[in-house]
Amino acid sequence: MAPVPDPNNSEEDLELKQNLELYVERVQDPNPELQKAALESMRILWSYMLMGLCSTLFFQESLGYRLTGSGGDIGSWGHEYVRNLAGEIAEEYTMRQSEEASVEDLMDLVKQIVAFHMKHNAETEAVDLLMDVEDLDLLLAHVDRTNFRRTCNYLTSSAKFLPGPDDMLVLDIAYMIYMKFEEYPNALQVALFLDNMQYVKQVFTSCTDLLRKKQFCYMISRHGITVELDSEMVADKDDRDMLQDIVNNTKLSEGYLTLARDIEVMEAKTPEDIYKAHLLDGRASSGPSVDSARQNLAATFVNAFVNAGFGQDKLMTVPSDAASGTAGNWLFKNKEHGKTSAAASLGMILLWDVDAGLTQLDKYFHSTDNPVLAGALLGVGINNCGIKSDCDPALALLGEYIDNEDSSVRIGAIMGLGIAYAGSQNDQLRSSLSPILNDAKAPLDVIAFAALSLGMIYVGSCNEEVAQSIIFALMDRSEAQLGDPLTRFLPLGLGLLYLGKQENVEATAEVSKTFNEKIRKYCDMTLLSCAYAGTGNVLKVQDLLAQCGEHLEKGDIHQGPAVLGIAMVAMSEELGLDMAIRSLERVLQYGEQNIRRAVPLALGLLCISNPKVNVMDTLSRLSHDTDSEVAMAAIISLGLIGAGTNNARIAGMLRNLSSYYYKDASLLFCVRIAQGFVHMGKGLLTLSPFHSERLLLSPTALAGIVTLLHACLDMKSIILGKYHYVLYFIVLAMQPRMMLTVDENLKPISVPVRVGQAVDVVGQAGRPKTITGFQTHSTPVLLAAGERAELATDKYIPLSPILEGFIILKENPDYREE
Amino acid sequence: MLTVSVKWQKKVFEGIEIDVSLPPYVFKAQLYDLTGVPPERQKIMVKGGLLKDDADWSSIGVKDGQKLMMMGTADEIVKAPEKAIVFAEDLPEEEQATNLGYSAGLVNLGNTCYMNSTVQCLKSVPELKSALSNYSLAGRSNDVDQTSHMLTVATRELFGDLDRSVNAVSPTQFWMVLRKKFPQFSQLQNGMHMQQDAEECWTQLLYTLSQSLKAPTSSEDSDAVKALFGVNLRSRVHCQESGEESSETESVYSLKCHISHEVNHLHEGLKHGLKGELEKTSPALGRTAVYLKESLIDSLPRYLTVQFVRFFWKRETNQKAKILRKVDYPLELDIYDLCSEELRKKLEAPRQKLRDEEGKKLGLQTKSSSKDGDVKMTDAEAPSNESGESSTAAQQEGASSSEKGTHMTGIYDLVSVLTHKGRSADSGHYVAWVKQESGKWIQYDDSYPSVQREEDITKLSGGGDWHMAYIIMYKARFVSM
Repeated sequence: MAPVPDPNNSEEDLELKQNLELYVERVQDPNPELQKAALESMRILWSYMLMGLCSTLFFQESLGYRLTGSGGDIGSWGHEYVRNLAGEIAEEYTMRQSEEASVEDLMDLVKQIVAFHMKHNAETEAVDLLMDVEDLDLLLAHVDRTNFRRTCNYLTSSAKFLPGPDDMLVLDIAYMIYMKFEEYPNALQVALFLDNMQYVKQVFTSCTDLLRKKQFCYMISRHGITVELDSEMVADKDDRDMLQDIVNNTKLSEGYLTLARDIEVMEAKTPEDIYKAHLLDGRASSGPSVDSARQNLAATFVNAFVNAGFGQDKLMTVPSDAASGTAGNWLFKNKEHGKTSAAASLGMILLWDVDAGLTQLDKYFHSTDNPVLAGALLGVGINNCGIKSDCDPALALLGEYIDNEDSSVRIGAIMGLGIAYAGSQNDQLRSSLSPILNDAKAPLDVIAFAALSLGMIYVGSCNEEVAQSIIFALMDRSEAQLGDPLTRFLPLGLGLLYLGKQENVEATAEVSKTFNEKIRKYCDMTLLSCAYAGTGNVLKVQDLLAQCGEHLEKGDIHQGPAVLGIAMVAMSEELGLDMAIRSLERVLQYGEQNIRRAVPLALGLLCISNPKVNVMDTLSRLSHDTDSEVAMAAIISLGLIGAGTNNARIAGMLRNLSSYYYKDASLLFCVRIAQGFVHMGKGLLTLSPFHSERLLLSPTALAGIVTLLHACLDMKSIILGKYHYVLYFIVLAMQPRMMLTVDENLKPISVPVRVGQAVDVVGQAGRPKTITGFQTHSTPVLLAAGERAELATDKYIPLSPILEGFIILKENPDYREE
Repeated sequence: MLTVSVKWQKKVFEGIEIDVSLPPYVFKAQLYDLTGVPPERQKIMVKGGLLKDDADWSSIGVKDGQKLMMMGTADEIVKAPEKAIVFAEDLPEEEQATNLGYSAGLVNLGNTCYMNSTVQCLKSVPELKSALSNYSLAGRSNDVDQTSHMLTVATRELFGDLDRSVNAVSPTQFWMVLRKKFPQFSQLQNGMHMQQDAEECWTQLLYTLSQSLKAPTSSEDSDAVKALFGVNLRSRVHCQESGEESSETESVYSLKCHISHEVNHLHEGLKHGLKGELEKTSPALGRTAVYLKESLIDSLPRYLTVQFVRFFWKRETNQKAKILRKVDYPLELDIYDLCSEELRKKLEAPRQKLRDEEGKKLGLQTKSSSKDGDVKMTDAEAPSNESGESSTAAQQEGASSSEKGTHMTGIYDLVSVLTHKGRSADSGHYVAWVKQESGKWIQYDDSYPSVQREEDITKLSGGGDWHMAYIIMYKARFVSM
């Protein structure tokens, strides 16, 4: 409440006093006209002055008086009065609700108040009141062109802090308001957040402009979900094909390469360019004379991550004339299962460029060496990640290897399919992968990867049948198999099915209580953390923290996923995120060893591709931990928080770590991988699953990251063992962190934009600045974490208010050259 | 008859006609004409499946105007290289050692760091290694006693073990023999073996080796150790009182760097060390008189050893106390002005040559000189793997290098430093810092070798409680003419 101004020295009051004196003088004037006017003025003045007093003294009972009183314009008693009234209504409402009394009179008042608030720049208060009286629909009648943006902004931001199902309700209203004002991009954004295909369709059917639909398609493609456009959404067949192409991400590679050319980073980089060993003293010349399989494998990954999507590198794609010489050479500098990762790295280098990728991978399909073939299959999957095509090349090529007799080939095919079809809910794949789960003869690793791939394909779908298959597979496992490090992928696959689907998981969670106790808790934690991932649900964070507080006997491993779960749940919004970072510091100090090992990974997830200095310092400290598993996790996480940023400080830390751990092959391998992460896509990529101004969470991206982190919980047997290719799951989260403007024909055009730190404008009146400390660039530009762009020219109008990814620009008809 | 378009790589072939009555193989043959990809390498993708050669078009359900996708290249299929690649992980332990670029450390057997650091420093001399490898078990000449022989063999074995191993070597055998030969190293204190003076160990060990490595002919020239480390000094001894003057020559294994108040630099210390006063009976005066002895270097060794005289016997405390004074030493030492007149004359031409070469390769000078050194080292090392006469040749080369193509220049490069940390010779800790053939400096702190920066090596010059140089060894720089 506003403080009552001190009557003795306020200028305003002085003026009032003078006016009053003037009026008193006038009243004594013989002229009756003047007398009347003066009296009227005095009345207004009195009511104004009373207001200040009333706000503190008399408003307590205002609701009662208001209800019994005469009515009349509610605003005549001023803002403070209305605000006070609103507060009392909320109280009264809950009281009456519990007494089950009628609230009709209250609602009349509410309508008046909401109308008043909405007219007077107090949308937030109107929304608050309506939430209190549970009647948000009223809002629709009162929003208008001037205030709907602020209203919706408040609605969507508050949704993160509301308990279910209120959050959905709020977003529903936001969607409706956006639709009402034909603000389709925002409506689509909300529809995607709600994961409501009906709404998505409605956006398409309501909008008639083809160009805008193209923009919608770009937004859907960034979100990474599969949408089939039908004739209702787009009538014309050719148009539909073109739009479907955009949804299918077929132009992603082109856009990415445009960005790369503009920033002039096309030149391929070698792992040595990343290691920068010459900057380290003493050990510069310590190039080993003999190839080390471990270090070559690390180089393979670094090469793949750094040159991801560029279509060229210096190890794998050297000109094909020299195929017999150099090209094959690097592949064979990797040992056994290392060759799988080497061949698959080709898919990463040619990421999103399906035609070129298949051409390059073709020769490995004819290899008689099983690990190479497995790598080629996996490579096709990686290559097709996020890209859909009518011909379904990945399914056509990999399908026949699912039941190959060699289990490494099988895993390659299964994992490739999981990556290529993540989120597609492809029935054909379900019918071919599900039988593997319940095949008694299948090796455990094949089953684990099949469960994982099914989880990816059906991510967030709550598909009953897939869930059943995985549950049966878990029940069939023997005691010994349950202890295998790879078994953790089964509960994870199950959890992915319910990613972000909150209480939908409950039935399955109930079933998981019947599992063998060895896996039961692990399964519980994984399901809980996946189901509430990205919701920011504080209660669930507390549940998970409670799990971490227990001191267990040796051998129990479920606290790892619990720690990761804290990060998964809390990562959605800034406040919760900071809180989680602080809680994890505590956990680190008091937790058992298996918890300490998971904490760095959780920190890595919280700040993925967002190198916060405090987290960086914590991880740097942990990277020298005496427990080598903690150190490894911290090193990998350093890579994750700096992923795709080229952050010089992290790069320096990792370089020093590489000399600190030069004798320890395992730790050095982790350092190399982290270096690859930091320079991922030469700094053009991000791993953040959040996009569209941090509102939307791409389920496939999160699935990829979470899988990698779960694998990192047992680094020694998975990533440092022979399943290092699980590192490639990260491809699901890899996205260009760009803003690329295209014209109406989808050709890139360069326009000036301002890029600056995003400012939170929720609940601010007027039209506040949305960015601060900006610099002007011309598109395409890179956007770092927490940055936002705005056009610096009036010549064009962007078709989406969220300037990220591909943005279609329309010429401004009102623009005049100066 | 259907018309489809086929996408291959980045190209799209429009309007390809399919005769549905013929098997798909015919269609593939059509594509072979267009793309040059042999049918068996073609993979045609139709709605999530591959087109089989003998499939029935009607069951595939290809529609008119459909887009097909083809994958395949005429590229050569990748083959594994004929020669399998050897990975470091597969190698036996001893071969992994060579990959590190430096050899293993030595386990401390209880106050044996003086011995460990001495061994590490001496091991850095490849010529000594090859001389030892030539020393046969049976070839003991009669004038070498049993224990010396055993110590020589033990040294050879230890050097070999160090080169082969990845992990720290335990020098148990060597230590036993050393104590047998020199019982003073077996002193006990509180039931533990005492810390000893590394200089004593160094001198004794080198002396023993020089005795046993003498060729059977026992001529002066064939003394391998002497050829490597021996410095001939020509001294002028004169008595100021009587004006007597005599000259004498002696051979020493190391130069002493005396540390007094004026000495700040190695060079000054060496000069100081070459001048001395001694009391002896003067035949002219018939009593003891003070003689002034001034020495100059008459011949240069391949390896110049300098000992910092940091320890002196302190009567009050009954122990060898240490002078902490900082004495700088350079990475490149020029001892031209410590040489005798004749030697200077001999050095004149090679030095000129060296200057010319360096002038010529300005900017590359260090590289050229180190390359020169490398060649020498490999020359000397190569025979160590073989056996027989070739290593005697290496010895000979060391001894008679001045007659051959290469010449001494009087310029020396630092190759190893033995440091001491602590306040007295019989306590504290000894560590060896050795330059490898690759140019890297390795610190051998007992069983832990670690890489060091060259800048830090010159910081071991004393003046605090950090490691300070006690014995340093320089390697001669040659020039070929």
